[in-house]
Amino acid sequence: MHYAILGNGVAGMEAALALRRRDAKARISLISDEHDFFYSRPALMYVFCGQLDLRGTEPYERSSYDRMRLERVRARVGALDAGRRTLAFDDGRPLAYDRLLLAAGSRAREGSWPGTKGPGVHAFVTLRDMEALDRDARPGRRAVVIGGGLIGVEVAEVLLRRGVSVTFVIRESWYFPLALDAQESQVVAEHMRAHGCDVRLGVNVTEIARDGDGRVRSVRLEDGGEVPCDVVVVAIGVVPNTGFLAASGLRLSSGGAIEVDDALRTSAPDVWAAGDCANVTWADGSRRPEQLWYTARDQGRVAARSMSGEDVTYRRGTWYNSAKFFDLEWTTVGHVPALLNWDNTPLDPGPAYRSVFERVPDRPVTWRIVLEGDRVAGFNMLGGRWNHEVLRAWVEEERTLDWVRAHLDEARFDEELGGPVRAGR
Amino acid sequence: MQAGLLDTYRKPTLTRGALAWALSAVLSAFYLVLYFTEALTPVARATGLGDKWTLYGFLYTVAMVAGGVYFLRRHGNSRYERIRTIVVVAVQVVLAFALPIVMKVFGAREYYFSYFWPLKIEYLYPSVILSHPFLIVAWSFVGSLVAFPVLAWFLGKRFYCSWVCGCGGLANTAGEPFRHLSDKSEAAWKVEKVSVYLVLAIAVAATVVVWANWAVGSRHPAFASFAFAVQKWYGFAIGAMFAGVLGVGLYPLMGTRVWCRFGCPMAAMLGIIQRFGRFRITVKKDMCIACGNCSTYCEMGIDVRSYAMANQDVRRAACVGCGMCAHLCPRGVLKLENRPVRLKAGQPIRVYAAGP
Ligand SMILES: Cc1cc2nc3c(=O)[nH]c(=O)nc-3n(C[C@H](O)[C@H](O)[C@H](O)COP(=O)(O)OP(=O)(O)OC[C@H]3O[C@@H](n4cnc5c(N)ncnc54)[C@H](O)[C@@H]3O)c2cc1C
Ligand code: SF4
Ligand code: SF4
Repeated sequence: MHYAILGNGVAGMEAALALRRRDAKARISLISDEHDFFYSRPALMYVFCGQLDLRGTEPYERSSYDRMRLERVRARVGALDAGRRTLAFDDGRPLAYDRLLLAAGSRAREGSWPGTKGPGVHAFVTLRDMEALDRDARPGRRAVVIGGGLIGVEVAEVLLRRGVSVTFVIRESWYFPLALDAQESQVVAEHMRAHGCDVRLGVNVTEIARDGDGRVRSVRLEDGGEVPCDVVVVAIGVVPNTGFLAASGLRLSSGGAIEVDDALRTSAPDVWAAGDCANVTWADGSRRPEQLWYTARDQGRVAARSMSGEDVTYRRGTWYNSAKFFDLEWTTVGHVPALLNWDNTPLDPGPAYRSVFERVPDRPVTWRIVLEGDRVAGFNMLGGRWNHEVLRAWVEEERTLDWVRAHLDEARFDEELGGPVRAGR
Repeated sequence: MQAGLLDTYRKPTLTRGALAWALSAVLSAFYLVLYFTEALTPVARATGLGDKWTLYGFLYTVAMVAGGVYFLRRHGNSRYERIRTIVVVAVQVVLAFALPIVMKVFGAREYYFSYFWPLKIEYLYPSVILSHPFLIVAWSFVGSLVAFPVLAWFLGKRFYCSWVCGCGGLANTAGEPFRHLSDKSEAAWKVEKVSVYLVLAIAVAATVVVWANWAVGSRHPAFASFAFAVQKWYGFAIGAMFAGVLGVGLYPLMGTRVWCRFGCPMAAMLGIIQRFGRFRITVKKDMCIACGNCSTYCEMGIDVRSYAMANQDVRRAACVGCGMCAHLCPRGVLKLENRPVRLKAGQPIRVYAAGP
């Protein structure tokens, strides 16, 4: 049996490890055009700022690949012929497989403004993106970061630390409306500004202006403003990395993600897909890719079981996620609806929605408890450390607000000696 | 990111470059000169510090105070790190530096109250015991044999290794910039597992030999000279070469806890107790993004990430509880704990009535 795994990100690597555990003999090929070894993509910012070296972001010792007999292929796949069970690399070499996992991940979504193409405009998704930005973002330069999401804030932080001045241009009228409400965003924006980040909310980019030599000169805004700069980072989301599948006949979503069933099988026989590139069913019934480390990891594991013949169903449990905005840690659990559309129109969270927001006086520590009727349905915790497992149990147990309030301390996960955290009313 | 760690991997002194080797050579040379020559004695006299050991203590304390200030600027945003650092520096200044000098001034024999057997092996040698007042001997005995095991059981060995000990104190202050250089390879762990317990065994054996000699020495001159050789050899190989020359000399190449990790018999002893005691690092389930900050900055070379990725609490004899893994984890996955397991943080004590 030859398992080919396209992509050595977390989905591909977890699948490879799970397949090896199930089958000591099978041949397993891990393909990547990015890096010879699995590394942690969320750690890219730490490599950029020199807090980690790339090797430190590789969870498994390099020698262990041979020990686990994971054959590594460093090349770009240009095409898939599912009928012949063959992948074709860009240099023309073929690779025949018995079963294939597509774990090709994402690439950066490109801007569509005039001036986007060319030197000085960067993304921050792959190792190559990071290296290019590293060369271009020299101390003393001025950068504009476009896009109010999680990657944007990470880039803004590491650029500032390097001594690059940063203007953070965000289309929505508050930062990260997908997950934060207006008050929480206010806290985060204040925090970013305190670190010297020039945060511009509710502005659209119209053009990336270049000088006669083609160098980036400024970013023009819809409100008539212009931000002079030397470097632009576009962080407006990611899209599935599935261009090479165009002629494969595989069913893709309109956004380019690979359609899979509940067992992560694609429309072609003996081809599975997992991670950022797979179009899966969400709890609300909609079909979208899940672009998260945690889901990619879980999908990779499920795909491996599915590939080795088990009858499995991929279902994401109660939602959780975490991130860090400069120094502010954020944990979310359960149902925390978005309240603002991308075009700045309010989103209706439904009649049963109610939320309670509390802030610790003089500290950027807040929490929001979301209620459906009189039961707690979700948590949005900012600035402190919380154990999502406990919060999740409370959501699943449908606790009342008073009960949760009385027990909130039990979910704290701050460092020892962290001192008391009490909300002001 | 942690501001103080900016460009750690771009500095030649911090990435085993030529400068790091040179620094390592200088530090090792300093210790060789200190231990095996009297070159520092005139300096000590000229500065009014008396002997070279007092001069060394002074330099050590200055390094720790300056390093402590440096540390607080880098990591003072963590309350655990802040308090721990202030305590370990204060212990050095008061117990390991000021108090011994005061004792000397008043004509008593100096004594380092923050050092204990088996790290300071001679503190349970008969020669030391018989020449010190009862209270000091009691302090030493009760500390090494009763209080420390109990404390290690309840708090983990960190109470000593990261809060009191001068070796750990220097590592975590002046040595702080080098902490990421600890060897994370499996090979290093294989060496560590043997070497640290071997040194503990040697320390215990050496102590037994010295006592046996005290009991029977005058009747067996051959044994007496053997015991004397053991004492001298231990002092040379373990005390001077391993703890001093290699322990500090290798800071720029192998990180700051080379001695603590591969050699210290106290760490070995307390580690065994810790392994079965309450202290552990709790892992938040399925929240790790595998970034590697914890493993990179673990000065004991523990692959914390592998535990976090496997949702397994870290229970390792080696962990000195410096807290840096928890402090640096960008997803708040780790928490040092010594509460009873059933009261583990984030695990609600499930005695609520059913229902809301
Ligand atoms: C800067 C950044 C920070 C992030 N932070 C977080 C976070 O904090 N938390 C979180 O949950 N998520 C985070 N994410 C998202 C998370 O990293 C992804 O969801 C996750 O890595 C997806 O894993 P994957 O295995 O599906 O794909 P990837 O990790 O993208 O791996 C895909 C692999 O496929 C290879 N590949 C693709 N096409 C080809 C081809 N044609 N030929 C050969 N090889 C190919 C690529 O080389 C790559 O190695 C972050 C993402 C970025 C970019
Ligand atoms: S595991 Fe964590 S607390 Fe223990 S020594 Fe390593 S970094 Fe310090
Ligand atoms: S435990 Fe934290 S620091 Fe360690 S790898 Fe996981 S996310 Fe990174």
